[in-house]
Amino acid sequence: MVDSYRPKDLKEALSIRAEHGAMPLAGGTDLMVRYQSWTGTLPLFKNSIMFIGHLKEMKYIKKEAKDKTSTLVIGGTATLTSVANHPETPVVLKEAVLSIAAPALRNNATLTGNICNASPAGDSICALYALDAVIVIEKTGSRREVPITEFITGPGRTVLAESELVTAIKVPLKASSVNNFTKVGTRKANALSKLSFTGVADYKNGRVDSIALTFGAVGPTVVRSVELEKKLKGLSGSEIETKISAILEDYSTVIVPIDDQRSSAVYRKKVALNLLEKYLRELSRHE
Amino acid sequence: MKEIKFILNGKEVSVEADPLKRLLDVLREDKRMTGVKEGCGEGECGACSVLMNGVLVNSCMIPLGAVEEAEIVTPEGIRETEKGKLIIDAFGDAGAVQCGFCTPGMMMATEALLTINKTPEEEEIREALSGNLCRCTGYDLIVKGVQIASERGKDLW
Amino acid sequence: MGAKISIPVRRIDAKEKAGGWAKYIGDYEFDNLQHGRFLRSERARAKIIEIKKPVFPEGYYYVDASDIPSSGKNNIQMIKDDWRVFAVDEVRYIGETIAIILGPDKQKVLDLLNEIEIIYEDLIPAFTFDDALACKGGAVHGTDNIFAEYLLNVGNTDNAFKNADKIIEGKYETGFQEHLYMETQGLVGTWEDGKITMYASAQCPFYIRKSVAGTLGVPLGDIRVRQVTTGGAFGGKEHFPDVIATPLAVAVNKIKKPISMIYDRIEDISFTCKRHPSKITIKTGLDKDNNIIAMEIDTLVNGGAYESSTPIVLQRAILHGLGVYNIPNARILGRAVATNTFPSDAYRGFGAPQGLFAIEMHMSHIADELGLDTSDFKRKHFIKTNDITITNSKMHDDVKLEEMFAKIDEMSDYSSKVKKYANDPVKGIGIAFVNHGGGFTGNGEQVVIQGVVKMKRLDDGKAGLYVSVVEMGQGLQTTMRKIAAGELGLSIEDVVYDNPDTDIVPDSGPTCASRSIMVVGFLVQECAKKLKAKWEEGVGTEATHQYVHPEEFVWEQETLQGDAYPAYGWGINVVEVEYDPVTFEVKTEGVWAVWDVGVAIDETIMQGQSSGGIIQALGYASIEKCELKNGAFMQHTMADYTIPTSLDFPKVETVFIDNPYKYGPSGAKGAGELVFDAAPPAYAEAVQNAIGKRIYDIPVTPEMIMEALNK
Ligand SMILES: Cc1cc2nc3c(=O)[nH]c(=O)nc-3n(C[C@H](O)[C@H](O)[C@H](O)COP(=O)(O)OP(=O)(O)OC[C@H]3O[C@@H](n4cnc5c(N)ncnc54)[C@H](O)[C@@H]3O)c2cc1C
Ligand code: FES
Ligand code: FES
Repeated sequence: MVDSYRPKDLKEALSIRAEHGAMPLAGGTDLMVRYQSWTGTLPLFKNSIMFIGHLKEMKYIKKEAKDKTSTLVIGGTATLTSVANHPETPVVLKEAVLSIAAPALRNNATLTGNICNASPAGDSICALYALDAVIVIEKTGSRREVPITEFITGPGRTVLAESELVTAIKVPLKASSVNNFTKVGTRKANALSKLSFTGVADYKNGRVDSIALTFGAVGPTVVRSVELEKKLKGLSGSEIETKISAILEDYSTVIVPIDDQRSSAVYRKKVALNLLEKYLRELSRHE
Repeated sequence: MKEIKFILNGKEVSVEADPLKRLLDVLREDKRMTGVKEGCGEGECGACSVLMNGVLVNSCMIPLGAVEEAEIVTPEGIRETEKGKLIIDAFGDAGAVQCGFCTPGMMMATEALLTINKTPEEEEIREALSGNLCRCTGYDLIVKGVQIASERGKDLW
Repeated sequence: MGAKISIPVRRIDAKEKAGGWAKYIGDYEFDNLQHGRFLRSERARAKIIEIKKPVFPEGYYYVDASDIPSSGKNNIQMIKDDWRVFAVDEVRYIGETIAIILGPDKQKVLDLLNEIEIIYEDLIPAFTFDDALACKGGAVHGTDNIFAEYLLNVGNTDNAFKNADKIIEGKYETGFQEHLYMETQGLVGTWEDGKITMYASAQCPFYIRKSVAGTLGVPLGDIRVRQVTTGGAFGGKEHFPDVIATPLAVAVNKIKKPISMIYDRIEDISFTCKRHPSKITIKTGLDKDNNIIAMEIDTLVNGGAYESSTPIVLQRAILHGLGVYNIPNARILGRAVATNTFPSDAYRGFGAPQGLFAIEMHMSHIADELGLDTSDFKRKHFIKTNDITITNSKMHDDVKLEEMFAKIDEMSDYSSKVKKYANDPVKGIGIAFVNHGGGFTGNGEQVVIQGVVKMKRLDDGKAGLYVSVVEMGQGLQTTMRKIAAGELGLSIEDVVYDNPDTDIVPDSGPTCASRSIMVVGFLVQECAKKLKAKWEEGVGTEATHQYVHPEEFVWEQETLQGDAYPAYGWGINVVEVEYDPVTFEVKTEGVWAVWDVGVAIDETIMQGQSSGGIIQALGYASIEKCELKNGAFMQHTMADYTIPTSLDFPKVETVFIDNPYKYGPSGAKGAGELVFDAAPPAYAEAVQNAIGKRIYDIPVTPEMIMEALNK
């Protein structure tokens, strides 16, 4: 049996975090399942727990505009349903979130929880990598912002310190004309990912101005290669078309999935590349 | 152990238990609300569906401490309301009930759906029920049950 | 659908179930309830050297084979009794029961369980068909690992092969399937008035009574079994509850307090029986005109570590081995092997789905090889009334497959779609034809079961119905009442039919084998007629009726010759799919079904059976992957073992045709398993046509499709 805390506000939450290092529990959809035990017995938590799902200060989604850039700021306890329903949510994130589980789960689970869980198969993470999301981390008296690619360090591992909480996720709202999120799951709904893919890109004057390509569940963390993306920037649609097989070859060196009971390495790799190819073809037609 | 207060089917209740106890166990054991079922205990099946502050959730993944001050509605809380009776009758007429183990959860999901969408299309119904698994019916007649409920309940939701 | 009885009524149990009033095993309260959990083998095959136990606090118990009374036996009386109640000295499969740990506090029980350490000496396990046939590590069962071996023969197969113009062969495999009833396994054993009473989520109360009495060595009447509302079963609660009930009874007998053994989901998926995996090889000889003149089938099923009902499953697999076809010369060898895997057992269809998958795919492959249309080729070989069967008797049924084909063709537009999709890169359509024998195989009803039903006039113009078959979701509470009420001229509410209690109802046999309506329902109808004739004798008047075997059906069990089943249900499914060449995922675009179940006792209930059976079967054919790794199932949770959701398949379009059976109630035949049989091959054929590569195995996963396309 472990202790549990229910802070009345964020300030108290941060001080409980500092004092006890209690593990935050937002929607509980990862934690309650991971530590589940026999019906009628308590979950087998190893550390104390702090309920944070009710904290209103972090239950928001808002658009912030500064200079010419705008950002969607998603509060640390915003649910997946609220993210999916928000009119400003980028389409790939919306689709990624809607691909998670089923309505009842999304009503309670949080986006922050999905990220902090840091599963290689976390569906929102695949989209958030492509969107250059930034994680806002706070502890009593200080605050830092970390790009999601640095936030997640391995399967189930993040840079979060014991005294810290994630208080928001910032999603830059950039122009993006060719968007695709695809999840290949174990069934049509309520499914875990065998793999996922996100592509976002924009053209300026007929040339690729920005592009991000990410792959979920094909490695220990989401796969994104800024190097390879650089090679695509500045290309025209027809240039992309002629380079598709070279691009696929490049990507086949960075996508190195594993076998598990959900799927096979061969399948994951093949389909990841197929999805990429399909996306590139669409991209090449768009310029 | 802690005393935790919340609203259960419209009444304020207080439960003395470990805040980490699953809401599902609190409802079934402490409150004897056995209309809430456990099919999996891992968020997959929806048999444990309840409404929390008006939206559908899985009570097997919610610790008691998280429902403090929240409003929880179980099948017991809607089965005798006008809407609840209408859903039950619609399910009966459609042939939506077989072994029945999934059905109270299906009723909760139907209530939640019709609250936000009075006249759902078949695809929307299937989407709304996608977290409630049924091994007996193949879903067709449950979908029909929801359609009947939606038709008959135009003025209720 | 003309019959009056087919007109739907609202199910009698709909309201109490939908509203959550109905009580399942986990919903009951018992005073002083103790909670038990199994100590299980973690090894597939090993000697137990030592079991190190902590000191048990007062009120906590370790119950094992040494607690079986001297009058009893450490065996579970099923068909055979090889399965042990508790493993002693050695273990044969991962999950085998070694002991029960029990006490009032669940956490304490878990803690004790975790403190127990078992020292094993590992032996060499056998997991695969090849391992089993080679007796790897020494035979698990007998001297040769063969639980059962049968040979069926019609005509002169060797000769016919000699005359064959061409020979085509194929090998077909099916996997494990988990029942995944939404309510897990569970029983509560109590000590009431000096008697053990079992409250059970179960299909067969009398099976439990027999096994428990056998284990304790007491007369049958000393054990009482009460079925409680059961949240799905599909065969999984036919014999398996015996595996929980027998050790549980030993524990109750020891401490004389109520004990609950209710599985949680992970335990249920990891440690309960699955459908038998199969490997079936078929060789077919054809003449110059592409008529099948000879067929040879080799059927293997994996029975796991203990026999349970494996031989009977194998019988059904081979008795359905020729499907709906008239093959003049055929030989079927069936063997069930023993391995160190969890024992396989009954699952809706009971072997028939495996046999039918193989023959349907094989027929499709032959047609493909010969460049013929599948349905034309299959139809040319349809068995007809009075044709000779594989057991050298005549097909007694009025076979209406042609009429049914015309119907499904019209509903699904099958014939034109087959042509249209022949060159379509992503679309495909498949068709499968099946039959399913109703009731126990051969003379089982006559010799083994001899079912009895009872009825009684009660107060207030009501009638009591006493049968041992149970409602488990299939609608029996309603359909049985309909049958009885129809004869007595009562409303269905006036027929009282409580969940069976072995102290009250006669033994009308188990709830399985698609026999409840066809066989027991007929007894009920006859019994109701008797009661009606005596109705005026007043309240308390009783009537009973026992199974009488129709003389025209003859069977010899030793040789498996004669009328394997008195009547068959028949069916055709069409499945239309589209596959995604990018992800290799398959989307099912349409599902159609036409059934001959004699007469539907209730059309809505049958619609529910059709949709439910088909979707369960489509899961089996596509997404329900259950694999072994070192003898343990790799899938443990509902996230790992995926069954269809409401979004996986579209609505099933179902039609029934009337074809009354004279010994069925109002003409009804068995239906509950038939509805499972046709969808797997129809789906696999549809995928095959979509991708342009042959499919031999199910489940057809996207991974498999990718591999097939690479070949
Ligand atoms: C049936 C089922 C299906 C699922 N399907 C999918 C799926 O398809 N795709 C997918 O990606 N995921 C899926 N999940 C996983 C899960 O639902 C998500 O990861 C969810 O978004 C987690 O959110 P939560 O609020 O419930 O997290 P919690 O369980 O509350 O927390 C998860 C982790 O995040 C930490 N955490 C939460 N909030 C904070 C914070 N503010 N600061 C610091 N740390 C924090 C917790 O300490 C914990 O380590 C599924 C889960 C279940 C049970
Ligand atoms: S019991 Fe909660 S979702 Fe299955
Ligand atoms: S009716 Fe049995 S699970 Fe839905």
